[in-house]
Amino acid sequence: MTAMRKTYIVVVVLALAAIVGNHLSSPSSGRAVSPEDFVGACAPCGAPCPSKK
Amino acid sequence: MTTATMAAPQSGAALGIDRLFLALALGATAILLALVLLDGQAWSAALIVGGFGLGVAFLKAEFSYTASWRRFLTRGEAGGLLGGLIVIAICAIAVVPVAALRQNFGGAIAPLGPSLIIGAFVFGIGMQLANGCGSGTLYTVGGGSGRMLVTLLLFIAGSVLGSLSLPSFLALGGIDPILASDHLGPWGGLAATLASIALAAALIVTVAKRRGASFMPSRNYLIGGLAIGLLCVFVFVAGGHPWSVTFGYTVWGAKAASTLGFDLTHSEFWQWAGPKHALSESVLSDTSSLTDFGMLFGAMAAAAATRPFAAGAWPPLKSLLAAAVGGLLMGWGARLGFGCNIGAFVGGVASGSLHGWVWFLAALPGCLIGIRLRPLFGLSRE
Repeated sequence: MTAMRKTYIVVVVLALAAIVGNHLSSPSSGRAVSPEDFVGACAPCGAPCPSKK
Repeated sequence: MTTATMAAPQSGAALGIDRLFLALALGATAILLALVLLDGQAWSAALIVGGFGLGVAFLKAEFSYTASWRRFLTRGEAGGLLGGLIVIAICAIAVVPVAALRQNFGGAIAPLGPSLIIGAFVFGIGMQLANGCGSGTLYTVGGGSGRMLVTLLLFIAGSVLGSLSLPSFLALGGIDPILASDHLGPWGGLAATLASIALAAALIVTVAKRRGASFMPSRNYLIGGLAIGLLCVFVFVAGGHPWSVTFGYTVWGAKAASTLGFDLTHSEFWQWAGPKHALSESVLSDTSSLTDFGMLFGAMAAAAATRPFAAGAWPPLKSLLAAAVGGLLMGWGARLGFGCNIGAFVGGVASGSLHGWVWFLAALPGCLIGIRLRPLFGLSRE
């Protein structure tokens, strides 16, 4: 098995463990959201509008 | 495909299914689907499935924004750029009217100002050095490119740094988003958006003709553009907003930094309601993370279904350095520029938001500089 394949296996397993661990140890209060869903958001990251600053 | 980055792994190896990685990709996707479905979140499952489809479509069509833009800038070839506009046009037909008419749906909007222009410009440099953009990084990592693993890692780090920088750059000033449907209504806004895409296509074809280059999209870009456009609509319906990529990276990086003991909660960005919520909640509560995970594993499944996965050697150090620098620049630039070629350009233009075109016009000169820098890292300008 090449070093690249070994690296990939380690990365995928660690990433999956991190995702599952984070999900199980964090609240999830309903439907998935984007920062744009919050009041005052003016960009996909949730930044406020210049006129509101 | 960002062909240089996919590392053509199988020199002479027998083609066939890589059962180990196919099982890994499908197993990981099944676990994520089970987790969100156990929480009763069918729309989250739909986002994972949509992302999976995007990963397959990008990989099979070898659909690369980075290479397309480079071919246009260096040779005048316009087919790839036009393929990208097909994606946007299909997406716009759904996004502009639905975002204007239906509650719980919204377009990708962003303010216009120095932060947007600087961020897009820096992103453009980074995407040519990394040899992959926001979507390209995801599907090439999923497709088995170890080089792009380096890019992704630094993309994530750069986007966290960008989250810390963004408030300072927003303080430089700007104006509120300009959305076509706000001024022309849902259908007038759609007409204006499609007209702007047609005008851009006409300009691109004119440039190609003047340079004696081809402008017809390849079969892959036509079919890929159609499939990716339809999947963009699917993701929009499932998530309520146009497809975005890089906010997920920022959340992953911030969560990792928090785990390592860095307290980001005092920085202005992470006190805004959206980022604050994303940092505290499960990573599977963030729409862009869900599609990102799906896309990674979709591309991995598609790659492993056809050939030995990640069977190549690591690329030269200079190439890895370009991948790292490019990733860092893209991460930082994406946060300042309100997204990448997907969230800001595709999503922005498809929403009828002027910032999408501003992002594109600022990213192109960045790409030119990135292309000129590529030989320093042993990469071709072509």
